[in-house]
Amino acid sequence: MRWLIGFGLLVAMLAFGIGIYHAAGLLSGARPSVHRPTEVSATPLPGTLYVVQAGAIYRFQHGNFTQITKEDGWMQPSVAPAGGQLVAVRRQMNFSDLYLLTTGGKQVAQLTRNYTPGAAESNHWSFYPRISPDGATLFYDYDPKSIYNSYQVDLAIFASPADPNGRGSVQWTLPNDFTGGDVNPIPLRAGGLLYTKYSIDDSFQVHAQIWVQRGPRSAGQALTAPELDCGQPALSADEKLLAMVCTKGSSQTAELDAAAFDPAALTLGSPATLVANQMLAAPAVSPDGKTIAYLAPSSPGGQFQLWTVDSSGPASVRDITRDLGLDSTSAPAWVGA
Amino acid sequence: MPRAWIVILGFLLAGLGGLGAYFLPLFQTAASSSTSGPETLPNLNPVTAPTDPFTVLLLGSDDDAKFAPDRLNTQSMILLRVDPTTKQATMLSIPRDLWVPIPNQGWGKISTAYQLGGAQAAVAAVESNFKVHVDDYVWIGLNGLVHLIDRLGGVNLQVTNPVMDDFYPSDLNTGEYPYDYYRVAVLPGAVHMDGVHALQYVRSRHGDVRGDFARSERQQQLLLAIKAQASHLNVADLPNLASAFNGEIKTSIGVDRLRALFSIGSDFNGQNVHRVVLVPPYTSEGWAAGQSVVFPDWGQILPLVHKSFP
Repeated sequence: MRWLIGFGLLVAMLAFGIGIYHAAGLLSGARPSVHRPTEVSATPLPGTLYVVQAGAIYRFQHGNFTQITKEDGWMQPSVAPAGGQLVAVRRQMNFSDLYLLTTGGKQVAQLTRNYTPGAAESNHWSFYPRISPDGATLFYDYDPKSIYNSYQVDLAIFASPADPNGRGSVQWTLPNDFTGGDVNPIPLRAGGLLYTKYSIDDSFQVHAQIWVQRGPRSAGQALTAPELDCGQPALSADEKLLAMVCTKGSSQTAELDAAAFDPAALTLGSPATLVANQMLAAPAVSPDGKTIAYLAPSSPGGQFQLWTVDSSGPASVRDITRDLGLDSTSAPAWVGA
Repeated sequence: MPRAWIVILGFLLAGLGGLGAYFLPLFQTAASSSTSGPETLPNLNPVTAPTDPFTVLLLGSDDDAKFAPDRLNTQSMILLRVDPTTKQATMLSIPRDLWVPIPNQGWGKISTAYQLGGAQAAVAAVESNFKVHVDDYVWIGLNGLVHLIDRLGGVNLQVTNPVMDDFYPSDLNTGEYPYDYYRVAVLPGAVHMDGVHALQYVRSRHGDVRGDFARSERQQQLLLAIKAQASHLNVADLPNLASAFNGEIKTSIGVDRLRALFSIGSDFNGQNVHRVVLVPPYTSEGWAAGQSVVFPDWGQILPLVHKSFP
């Protein structure tokens, strides 16, 4: 009996030691794990949003997420103006291509062929696809090769027929050399183009500005001042409200600004700040123009979640998700249906 | 001894054994990383926060298979001064190609000091040229940085512009052929990055007109992001972090001092950390001894340095 008690105490001591080991681990300040969107439900939003996590596109409707593609490098979905189809990027090692998909995620056509066997630098990137409001033209980022310097890789905005059988492409923008290029094309109903342009000043400071051009390779004009560092434009369906992310030189925080846009005069009103002092990205305007969705962490250093704010003011910020890890380089695509 | 005391002692020893096992990676890392002699086990008592200003030289090396382990350059050198009293900190990035006299070695790029004399030589080169005192150093290798960021759960970085590089070295865990390369495109905006992508962000330089200066700026940005992420941690996270390094970190800072530094970490955020990069006119590019180098203008650099590193 005495040996049995002794053995029991020994086991209890061992268990206590193991318990202390695990208890120490529980004190760790490690972050909670990230869930797949299909594992959670979220605050419902009107219409349908397409978002990206871990290389898969998800459709968000009625508070639930549906995975429509595999986790296979998919990003930056954009809805065709007629609805019913998406254009998205599939990114792989050294290159990326644009694809036409059904809203269920089925591949309809491959729109670019950027893979080149052999040297890595012979490949091309395509990003940020957007179909023009008339449905005829596909705008996107592409990296033309410099014939003078193989180190120069600046993205420029190109346009091609949206019809997968159409041919030819036109370079719309001329990026500043060695800045990384022009990004975020938004084709306008009247034929112009909004986008983000980067420049580097004499004191080596990078600046982002919202630019607008009336035609391919036309001079263009800045809609925001360099010191505001505004980029990632998102335009309402009626083209009267422009949302953008402005960092004002900060490398740690940004603000979500909204301003009235005049599509005829191509001018921007004074911006109002809707969200400040956050690391936020990828705004998208709701179909009715009353709400702006954006991505931001729910705590400093955390993964990106879906948030909304009314375009009327900052008092209406709502967190839609809390434990996802959304791709903040893919702005939500928000449509009415 | 009464039996009850034996049982209590048994439970106490078992508990200490559990704690010891939990903190074992930390002890191992401390013993292998410090050059200031064998580490004693860290005590878990409350630590006294430092009050005097101190300066740390942060060193980063490409330590892939291209280089013999004892012949590494420092691709990144950042001098950090922290003043716990005023709650102000300064990060000064030193260009890796800065052409300077290196003590006992002659003229060379400052990045080669580490190759020829280890961390002590790098510290000596910085002290003699910048006329500052360095209290401690931390050296980290490529995989160490990647693992550190991954163990922290990634970092959030605000990418200022597209970072494009068609010739990014494919040198992480590549065995015997580390000379390959691949294409990198880091898209702009706020992004959550894992270790590999954060490393791409801070190492890419070919597609940026600012070259190494842009890289220095991004390295400072990453340090702030790591600091922000580490603010969620406590002493219970240290073993997990320590096991990530696997010899990829060397420092003169002992574990107890590290805990003391941890205790003041929350006093510093982006607002009170001043960032200095020695862009022109503080430096100018040129050629020396057949190499592309960066020449310092000490007449401009030293007053700037002494303002932040008195």
